[in-house]
Amino acid sequence: MAEVTAKRDILTAASPHAETPDIWADFRQIEVLTLELRQRYEHSLGKYSRFFIELENGRFLGTRCARCQRVYAPPRPLCPACLAVTTWQELAGTGTLITYAVQHFGSGANDDVNRLATPYVLAYVLLDGASTLFPHILRAAPENVRIGMRVRVAYSSGPVQHPLHLMYFVAQG
Amino acid sequence: MSGLPVVVGVGLTAFAANRVDCTVRDLALEAALACMHDAGLMDLKAVQHGLTSYESDHFNRQMTLGALLHDHLGLTPLPNVRVEGGGATGALALRTAWAYVQSGLCDSILVYGAELNGRSVSTQTANQLFALSADFDWEMMVGGTYTAFYAAMMRAHMQRYGTTEAQCAHVAVRNRKNAQHNPLAQKPMDLTIEEVLNSRAVAEPYKLLDCSLLSDGAAALLLATEDWARAHSPVFARRPVVYFAATGCGSDTMRLGDRYPDITNFRGKRAAAQQAYAQLGISDPLAQIDVAELYDSYSGVEIQAVEDLGFVAAGEGGAAVASGLFDLGGRLPVNPSGGLLGRGAPVGATGIAQAIEIVQQLWGTVHPARQAANARRGLTDTHAGIGTLCVVNIFERRD
Repeated sequence: MAEVTAKRDILTAASPHAETPDIWADFRQIEVLTLELRQRYEHSLGKYSRFFIELENGRFLGTRCARCQRVYAPPRPLCPACLAVTTWQELAGTGTLITYAVQHFGSGANDDVNRLATPYVLAYVLLDGASTLFPHILRAAPENVRIGMRVRVAYSSGPVQHPLHLMYFVAQG
Repeated sequence: MSGLPVVVGVGLTAFAANRVDCTVRDLALEAALACMHDAGLMDLKAVQHGLTSYESDHFNRQMTLGALLHDHLGLTPLPNVRVEGGGATGALALRTAWAYVQSGLCDSILVYGAELNGRSVSTQTANQLFALSADFDWEMMVGGTYTAFYAAMMRAHMQRYGTTEAQCAHVAVRNRKNAQHNPLAQKPMDLTIEEVLNSRAVAEPYKLLDCSLLSDGAAALLLATEDWARAHSPVFARRPVVYFAATGCGSDTMRLGDRYPDITNFRGKRAAAQQAYAQLGISDPLAQIDVAELYDSYSGVEIQAVEDLGFVAAGEGGAAVASGLFDLGGRLPVNPSGGLLGRGAPVGATGIAQAIEIVQQLWGTVHPARQAANARRGLTDTHAGIGTLCVVNIFERRD
């Protein structure tokens, strides 16, 4: 007897339409396989790399456009408003919560995210000196989170899988 | 006679959480076949061009799906083009077809879209695959999901304008109720506001019943010059002529935070709408549009959309929605098909399916319970990301 090692089901599917006659009547026996595809990537962080490297030193970097003085956090190597190459700019890491979501399901993006207890708070923070909002996890009980509250970057010594998780936000004070 | 393209035929499959009876090519085939039947055309080779609309190689587990579907529809050796625009894929596909016909590159083009977003992967895997269409290094890696990005945007809207979760729930209730009159809809439901408010939290302020559906499905629409339609479609002269009258497209930054301080609404949608309105001299869209299919990926997104499309002023969307202004029988019926919340959202088909609902509303061929009164002009609103790419298409019945 033939053997198929993939998990499979064979079933008879009903027509999703109430049409008569079913023009697909001869094609209602269905086989369903469970397949897995895995990929592994060498993922360069490119011109953004210094941001991640400096997190290991407890420093938070944005980039500044010398032409328009906007400060990008997350960093942008090229200012999209001026098409000028930016320079790295250290920020104090203090800021204000502008908006947030309370996530009851993790994204499964990496081991660090999978370790977060749900619900967790995805915060959009206007860092002092920055022109844009930085999205990251705010480690606070959702009931204590308020738009406008002061927060700051906290640093972790790891171990983390992804260097972005060498930082997170906490309430100030 | 106008040089604008006309709709010659439309075809739609049932949307479902799991169309286990179909591969993605089977779905596209069902929709295309339905479209050709609708147009009264039996020979696909009469068509001059194909256009494949699909978003995700990951969900469909197939790259170059354009080549595969084109082949299985029997369209070879005709020219083909694949269009991708995230959530706006189907609407961008139609916009592309509009330009192809207007430019004279072809006189007829079959636009077909299909996607397997239903149960072929777990919700967790689906979240990850969709998160790949966010900024991978900065938004996905930190642990965000699209539901969370939309939720943060809605919370900012609530903070600034006083919009409420109950107003959002009105959209969730109404669109699923509208779906009850649509036999092809995935999730018709008769809900109460309280049931929506009490459903389990996903990414607050959004709860399960505020979220749209993951769907398998396909849609097809045949667009042509009026001359081609009259020469080839025996049914064309027998029903009202519906023109694809205008199209607009706008964009915005990928990440919400880069839009600060304008984080409550869709700037790209405002730009898209203004372009489309300018083409038709529309100055008062609430009065000059009779029916609309809006991109209700989450309940509150429809509230933001009615503001950005200029139906009501910024900040007034919540109250306007709750007043019934956009219900069936209201001033401007929105999402009579059930929308993404009730009918479903197989991405590559969604924008095409929205257009099909509008065309059939203008033809007067939808179920009477969801037919908008005196529908002469209808609009579709579709976007990618959190309004990262926005397309507004307008159809008009002229007779």
